[in-house]
Amino acid sequence: MLLAGAAAVAGIVIVRAARSAPPNPDGWFAVTVETDPALLTGPDRPDELARLAERHEIRIGPAPGGRGSEIAVREADGETRDRVRKLKQLLETGEVLLVDRQPEGHRTALGRVGAPAFRHLTRKGAR
Amino acid sequence: MRALCWTGVNEVSVEDVPDPGLLNRQDAVVKVTASSTCGSDLHLLDGYVPTMMAGDVLGHEFVGEVVETGPDVRERRVGERVTVCSIIGCGRCHYCKEGLWSLCDNSNPNPGFLETANGHASAGIFGYSHALGGFAGSHAEYVRVPYADVNAFPVPENVPDASAVFASDAVPTGWMGADLGEVGPGDVVAVWGCGGVGQMAALASLRMGADRVIVIDRFPERLAMAAEMGAEILNYGEADVPEALKELTGGRGPDVCIEAVGMESHGTGAQYAYDRVKHALRLQTDRGISLRQAIHACRKGGIVSVLGVYLGVVDKFPMGAVMNKGLTLRGGQQHGHRYIPMILDRMSKGEIDASPLLTHPMRLEDGPRGYELFKTKQEGCVRAVFRP
Repeated sequence: MLLAGAAAVAGIVIVRAARSAPPNPDGWFAVTVETDPALLTGPDRPDELARLAERHEIRIGPAPGGRGSEIAVREADGETRDRVRKLKQLLETGEVLLVDRQPEGHRTALGRVGAPAFRHLTRKGAR
Repeated sequence: MRALCWTGVNEVSVEDVPDPGLLNRQDAVVKVTASSTCGSDLHLLDGYVPTMMAGDVLGHEFVGEVVETGPDVRERRVGERVTVCSIIGCGRCHYCKEGLWSLCDNSNPNPGFLETANGHASAGIFGYSHALGGFAGSHAEYVRVPYADVNAFPVPENVPDASAVFASDAVPTGWMGADLGEVGPGDVVAVWGCGGVGQMAALASLRMGADRVIVIDRFPERLAMAAEMGAEILNYGEADVPEALKELTGGRGPDVCIEAVGMESHGTGAQYAYDRVKHALRLQTDRGISLRQAIHACRKGGIVSVLGVYLGVVDKFPMGAVMNKGLTLRGGQQHGHRYIPMILDRMSKGEIDASPLLTHPMRLEDGPRGYELFKTKQEGCVRAVFRP
């Protein structure tokens, strides 16, 4: 009886632990943004956030220590991660920083062929 | 316009490239009047940074004149003479607000590589490979400056380009090394590397009131420059550095050890030979001989402040010494924005003169020769500075 009770309590603890843990943490991409969470959850939330929410599960909450908001986006591939980062830039700085169309010298044939894959790797990582 | 481009391992050339324009509303375009070589460029030149592409414009330490501003630039004006910090900050993210500008969350649009390699990406840097943002560098007639209000600093009229150019990187980096080391009266500071950054770290330590500053290098002309500013010198080609430092500090070791060498550290003996072979075979990304020595030499409970650029992993890292001696290990790319206004003010008052670092003023067209001199340290070259 005592053992069964202990097992039941342990079971509850395990279930609670499982429920409080993020489901499949590998599937979430999170950023912290210097913005009040209320501005991200109300009717005036940014259009890009609304667009992301059409295809992705999104969690928004306050960041500790007055550091603004935490935005987590589920099943974020490289393209989505890039969009989330750009949203953060827009919210914090008012613009999305561009680095395309900059001065560059002669690219080798190999460089020209490999440039798209190279840019993908440096910008979005190996995803 | 003309620009100095990286074209392959140990190859640079001056080429015709398109002029930069305003890409963002907070951008400015700066006409470059002086742009310095930097020791950290050598890691790019030598092919140790894998995210360079042939054709990338080099250069990150510069001074110039604002010639165009975006509609959202409020502080900077066309015609202003400015030093631009080599590190790009946005000024609005948590890190910039905390003064940790080289950790800016927003100024590196290409964070993928560093997030994979280091866990998180750091700030963008001019002319410093695609992993650091892919920004065109300053060895050019013109350069585009993002977030111009926070990254470009007006230069007092009486500060010449020859000194102001180093307020972009060498001086604030050196200053940060002493600052991270919490240097103060009574301290003995040892500085590994007597290039531009090492010399400025020594100068900053002296200005912060250190009792003694000992600079370590092997080039007599560089050591003579450090001696001129009041530092003691150690030639590692002639002396056993760890033993000499113990002797010079009553057996304690230096209170603060500033490492201003980085991932291509030179040295002597078997340890250097071991590092050299592993580095050449790409079995380690970084040679850590000066870093190991700094950790070994530092007094118990002291601070090791790392300014030299490291990219990846260092073999045989003496973690036991860090732990058992209770050392504090600090480092980082420079948070230049914290220091540049103060440095320009001190330059204006004559308290800092960085111009002796400029040993070789050169035309941009002489860029390949400038890097050759700088890399091989021929003709007493400390810094070759191009005037486009």
